[in-house]
Amino acid sequence: MNINATLIAQAVVMIVFVAICWRYIYPPILSVMKEREKRISDGLEAAKKADDSLEEAKLAFDKELNQAKAEAAEILDKANARASQIVSDAASKAEAEAEKILNSASTTIENETNKAKEELRQQMSDIIIDTTQKILGDEISKEKHEEILKKAAEEL
Amino acid sequence: MASELTTESYISHHLTNLTCGKTTEGWTCDPYKVDQMGFWAFHVDSLFWSIGLGALFVFVFRKAISKNSDASVAPSGMQNFVEMSIEFVEDNVQSLFGSVKNTLIAPLALTVFVWILLMNLMDLVPVDFLPVLAGHVAYAIAGDAVEWIKGPESLYFKVVPTTDPNITLGMAFGIFILTIYYSITVKGLKAFIAELTLHPFGKYMIPINFVLEMVNFIAKPISLGLRLFGNLYAGEMIFILIALMLFFSSIPIGVLGFGLHLVWALFHILIVALQAFIFMALTIAYLAMAHETEEH
Repeated sequence: MNINATLIAQAVVMIVFVAICWRYIYPPILSVMKEREKRISDGLEAAKKADDSLEEAKLAFDKELNQAKAEAAEILDKANARASQIVSDAASKAEAEAEKILNSASTTIENETNKAKEELRQQMSDIIIDTTQKILGDEISKEKHEEILKKAAEEL
Repeated sequence: MASELTTESYISHHLTNLTCGKTTEGWTCDPYKVDQMGFWAFHVDSLFWSIGLGALFVFVFRKAISKNSDASVAPSGMQNFVEMSIEFVEDNVQSLFGSVKNTLIAPLALTVFVWILLMNLMDLVPVDFLPVLAGHVAYAIAGDAVEWIKGPESLYFKVVPTTDPNITLGMAFGIFILTIYYSITVKGLKAFIAELTLHPFGKYMIPINFVLEMVNFIAKPISLGLRLFGNLYAGEMIFILIALMLFFSSIPIGVLGFGLHLVWALFHILIVALQAFIFMALTIAYLAMAHETEEH
């Protein structure tokens, strides 16, 4: 347990080991560790950024979607309105047509009726004149009794 | 020596270093000639383990680098341990050293910490294992050629370098030199001398100041070395004394000794790590002091 030259030898050995560590061990390991630390923090930051942009994209997507939905609804409304317009137009047209047809039909009927009545009246007066001629002979002629006949025809 | 094993011879066998030095008859490692060697003797066993464990430290840490110098790959296995210890040292240096930039401090602290931890851990190897093995190997190889090896037990072999004050004081001495070096280069020689002579009593009491500050200055490395030595020496001593319980040839005491061994080994793990940490922390602190240019 004496103090001897071991002390000096140990001091020298220590200096050697410290120098080796200082020169060849510590800096490379530390630089690798620092670099990895930087990588990790960069990675975390990038992940955060990606998260943020994802959020942004989601928001943009929602906005687009809402806009598209609104547009679609608008288009649908317009189409609906147009369709009902078309339907009501067609209906009113048809109604008008029907009325027109009805009107012309009733006019025709009236004309026919009048025509028939006139014909009937004519025939009636002819029959009456005929019959009266037969009864009275030649006493009576169409030309002589023009006035009476006209009156009678008007009474019919 | 020791044809018969006594308590005394057992203890002294465990507490004596394998010392080689120069005597009048030339270089020898004969334990009976240690007295003639004087200062220029070396504790071969302490130095062997100290250098071996230092080399282990260098090897392991270098391997960790060469295995994975790519920062994009996650570290694994030994590299985790290596990076953990570096982070630990870096934290300690940061907390004690603050803003001062000195690239030597952290590697120094790392070396001191890991190296002392390894040396201290040798204390957990059963006390008789390596010395007896070394003795038998030496006897088998050199028993005939070297006249002082008379049997396996004539070779002393201490396994824990930090139980040798030469080792601990040697490291403290190295740190002491670094302290002086940085004191002079950072503060300047004048400021350094002023620090040693102008406190605490002002410039009219320079001799007294110098004596007081010198004691303070020298006490740091000595206490640094002796603290580590004392703790580990005491721990080793207790292991030896517990091992001695087997000499009583009584089964209950032997079992008790076994139990005590376990308890003390568990407790000693704490001391091993704690003393390595304290040595490192004080190393950083002393060097930090050398960098401080404070005025009282």
